[in-house]
Amino acid sequence: MITLTLKEAPTVPLEAELLSPDTIASLTIDEIRALPVHLGKRRRRVDDFFAVDGAPGDELEIRGDVGRVKWIGHGMTRGLVRIDGHAGMHLGSAMTGGAIEVSGNAGDWLGAEMSGGVIRVRGNAGGQVGAAYRGSLSGMTDGTILIDGSAGLEVGMRMKRGTILVGGPVRDFAGLQMKGGTIVLQSGAELRTGAWMNRGTIISLRPIPLLPTFSYAANYNPTFVRLYAKRLATLGYTLPYDERDGTYQRYTGDAAVPGRGEILVWQPHLM
Amino acid sequence: MTCTLGEVKNRADFIMYWGGNPAECHPRHFTKYTIMQKGKFVPEGRKGRTMVLVDIRETPSAKAADIFLQIRPGKDFEVATTLRALVKGQAVDPALVAETGLTVERLQDIVNRMKRARFGVIFFGMGVSMTRGKHMNSGAILNLTAEMNAFTKFVCMPMRGHGNVTGADVVLRWTTGYPFGIDLSRGYPRFNPGEFSTVDLLVRGDNDAALILGADPGATMPQPGIEHLARIPTIVLDPKVTHTSRLARVHITTAVTGVSAPGTSYRMDEVPLPLRPALASPYPTDEEVIRRIRHAVAAKPAWTPAPSAMMAFA
Amino acid sequence: MLRIAGGTVYDPANGIDGVVTDLCIADGRLVAEADLPAGARTIDASGTIVMPGGVDVHTHVAGGALNFARGLVPENQRVSRKFLHGVDRRAGLGGMTPTTFATGYLYAGMGWTTVNEAAVPILSARHTHEELHDIPIVDKTTLVLMGNNEFVLDLLEAGETERAKDVVAWLVWAAKAYGVKAVNPGGVEAWKWGKNANTLHAPIEGYKTVTPAQIIASLAAVVDDLKLPHPVHLHCNNLGVPGNFATTIETMNVLQGHRAHLAHLQFHAYGGDDWSTMRSESARVAEAFSANKNLTADAGAVLFGDAVTITADGPWQHLLYQLTGRKWGNLDVENETGCGIVPYVYKDRNLVNAVQWAVGLELLLLVDDPWRIFLTTDHPNGGCFWRYPEIIQMLMNAEFRKEQVRTLPDKARQRIVLEDLDREYTLTEVAIITSAGPARSLGLTRKGHLGVGADADVTIYPVNPDHGFLFSYPRYVIKGGAIVVEEGDLRHVTEGREFIVRPACDDAIEDYIRPLFEKVYTMSFANYPVEMERLRRPEVIPCDRR
Repeated sequence: MITLTLKEAPTVPLEAELLSPDTIASLTIDEIRALPVHLGKRRRRVDDFFAVDGAPGDELEIRGDVGRVKWIGHGMTRGLVRIDGHAGMHLGSAMTGGAIEVSGNAGDWLGAEMSGGVIRVRGNAGGQVGAAYRGSLSGMTDGTILIDGSAGLEVGMRMKRGTILVGGPVRDFAGLQMKGGTIVLQSGAELRTGAWMNRGTIISLRPIPLLPTFSYAANYNPTFVRLYAKRLATLGYTLPYDERDGTYQRYTGDAAVPGRGEILVWQPHLM
Repeated sequence: MTCTLGEVKNRADFIMYWGGNPAECHPRHFTKYTIMQKGKFVPEGRKGRTMVLVDIRETPSAKAADIFLQIRPGKDFEVATTLRALVKGQAVDPALVAETGLTVERLQDIVNRMKRARFGVIFFGMGVSMTRGKHMNSGAILNLTAEMNAFTKFVCMPMRGHGNVTGADVVLRWTTGYPFGIDLSRGYPRFNPGEFSTVDLLVRGDNDAALILGADPGATMPQPGIEHLARIPTIVLDPKVTHTSRLARVHITTAVTGVSAPGTSYRMDEVPLPLRPALASPYPTDEEVIRRIRHAVAAKPAWTPAPSAMMAFA
Repeated sequence: MLRIAGGTVYDPANGIDGVVTDLCIADGRLVAEADLPAGARTIDASGTIVMPGGVDVHTHVAGGALNFARGLVPENQRVSRKFLHGVDRRAGLGGMTPTTFATGYLYAGMGWTTVNEAAVPILSARHTHEELHDIPIVDKTTLVLMGNNEFVLDLLEAGETERAKDVVAWLVWAAKAYGVKAVNPGGVEAWKWGKNANTLHAPIEGYKTVTPAQIIASLAAVVDDLKLPHPVHLHCNNLGVPGNFATTIETMNVLQGHRAHLAHLQFHAYGGDDWSTMRSESARVAEAFSANKNLTADAGAVLFGDAVTITADGPWQHLLYQLTGRKWGNLDVENETGCGIVPYVYKDRNLVNAVQWAVGLELLLLVDDPWRIFLTTDHPNGGCFWRYPEIIQMLMNAEFRKEQVRTLPDKARQRIVLEDLDREYTLTEVAIITSAGPARSLGLTRKGHLGVGADADVTIYPVNPDHGFLFSYPRYVIKGGAIVVEEGDLRHVTEGREFIVRPACDDAIEDYIRPLFEKVYTMSFANYPVEMERLRRPEVIPCDRR
């Protein structure tokens, strides 16, 4: 495992798209130190900002507040990236495999357009989690993103497949123009959840405001939620599903499209 | 789904203003381009047009409206989304619609009028584009307009504010491919609103210098952004000493474009209009100043490696 | 001053068909050997193929419609070729809607040195010229949209053809244009009420007698009377519609005797009754076209992959939007025209796209005379201009072409004739369809050839059996006598010129136009004509053809 310890905080954003297991796996430690990173418009070296230690392989650990370092893990296909601190924008974007763990927060565009792999953030995430870049027709097409804290706007925007789970509250437009996949909102959301969704499932464990273009369909306990809950349990997350505990109110929409997405809102039984 | 203003003047029999107050903010709009004009195909002028005003409060523009729809603040997205559904004959939830301040019946009536129109236009202002939802509010109206074309001719247009913001958009698009929020630090244009747009850069403090031309962020930005501008080297080019000038390192007074400096202004519908200076000015034009700065910068050692050595990605 | 020594020269306009000879250049022109000053640099061109620089007779590279398209597809721009900022060059993006500086670098990099921006509204011509100003290296011409201009339509309805001619002449000069374009005549006007004009001989929406046929015939006559160097450039009615070959052939009849250039003929050569029965009718179109010697055309070939359809044919684009359910942009221009934009992907698995792909190549192979049909993709509608070498490869190599056909779905192969065509283009014929022919059709007498007095726009290709590769990477590109590309690198960025015309016009027509303008437009009449200062290096070409 290679460890990068932040020694010099970048004064402006640092773009470090080469910091991924795929790149470092085949390099010597000196080559890793010499990898280019971009501080604004200036090209610099990794070791201008990080002390580099360890043995090359496909595990990369980064220590320090790298909230200003963008594009870590971009396009990675394997291995592990562990960030002990905050991470910047575009973490794990376009990744197809491997795992990313963040002890702190992550910036906007976490896992944008990814198609495989797992990302876990213990802190908060920004906006556009697993989303499509501007103009692009699809966001993430597979993979799993787990966020313990809160998240920002447009979580899962235009996602096609895959799972996003957010422990804390999310802001507006979660599941915007969703095409498929699942978003689990353990603490609910602000406005316009599921706006213009086509397909896919949003599960909210708290009541959320809905658009007028969503219709109530039924109360029930879907089988797939039970399966999902079992899978999420192995990752340490709880999803209620038992009829004895409550039921899901199912809403379909968005009629504006018209889409056949669903929003399931958990309704615990009153004791 | 848009057009030049003459199409509105000559054809529009249904004109909606949403989230704007043209009577005060675009004072010649009604008389020059829309409801008051006798158009080639609307020779009866005002009588041949229906004007619908959609806003959160009754502004002086309401006096000119045939129908005033007062919606609750922050509900523009919900109303536009509901209209999209109604246009397609889809069901909506009446109770949730009522939370917008309007009823389903009222909105259905509007949809019926829109469908009966020969040529409908929606002008949308900053009440739409700058309130909660932002680009999604604008997107809702754009989509509604596109979908209306299955029934009748329909267009929409943003009500641009401030001098020649359309011109900046047009020129940036042809030179960089993007309208705003552009980054060139990797040697080629990249676009990402929220990452590279001005307010976000300033509030996060992501830049270490600023050159401000034809704008006054020191008056309009959130406080953290203003403080950042004051901290870093900031250069202002403006005919007047602005709020931003007062916290800048350098202020250069330049000639007023259109009065003393020539150029092209792009109207809100992207029609290019020549600016013919009428008065001389003792000050240099913005163009002269930028050229001189650029010349001086070009004389310094290049900071980017030769193009073939650069990696371009994302 | 330059000597290109020992290259194999293809200069079909001067009957030179693969002759090893030297070319001499001085002061931006080809000169006789005796007139080459001492001390000229010599390029050793032995073992290379030397052709006049490419001339793109129909492309969309600048102006309101193209710029609108740029805004619609940021996701394409993200993955486009990047042009990095340098000491002598500007940053930019390639892709389907290249930025202006990149457009010049891309064309020059391929050895194309003159481009014809095929669709300019007068109202935004100033914008087009400003963008052309920012396209380096290549020379430019523009065509101004007239086929749905209400001043002209109203005059035709009133039978005032002489006045219509003066109005057209005045408008061409006001726009500082080079020629006249008509797109879906009558249809774009009808689109302003959400309709179209599908029948050549039916009056158009909002008019009692004027038909698309009348517009076509009248504009062709006007352009001939005004002696514009390039004939009326016509995008026929019913573009893209199965069965439209009949409209195309009828259009040729309507033009009886007058010159015309038929744009992107591929999109107008379909049979069948609907999408499921759509097939190629290139043979019938090619036959009728060949018989009508007053006509030239460009192929408008389709290539599989990404494209952005950008056309003044608004109603067609709305239909495409409804078919694809994806992005759509539209901008109607008061009194004049409009444009519609739909990003699109041509797929070889798609039956319709497969037929389209075949038809473009079929037309190029079935029309025997290369002086009459030219290589284009209606960029970016059918494919990007920087992919022209792929088409050249398929024209020159029948086996390679047939291999591509064999990968198509069987159903598609039954709808086309491409598999049965054995013709292979020679290098001479390639030089004609990419340079000499379009230059002649455009009436640019100093372009498209390498005789003494021609502009020194010369492209030097490596000899390569893989013809697509040959044409993708010229070894040298010379523009106006300056070496702009050398061994694949951009060496020198020059400024191109804009060719314009000033057709004869009764000045009094301005008194007719002004009050009408003030009534239906929304700006001051004084601001309508484009100022000469907006154009970079303008050159007026005389209207004295024929």
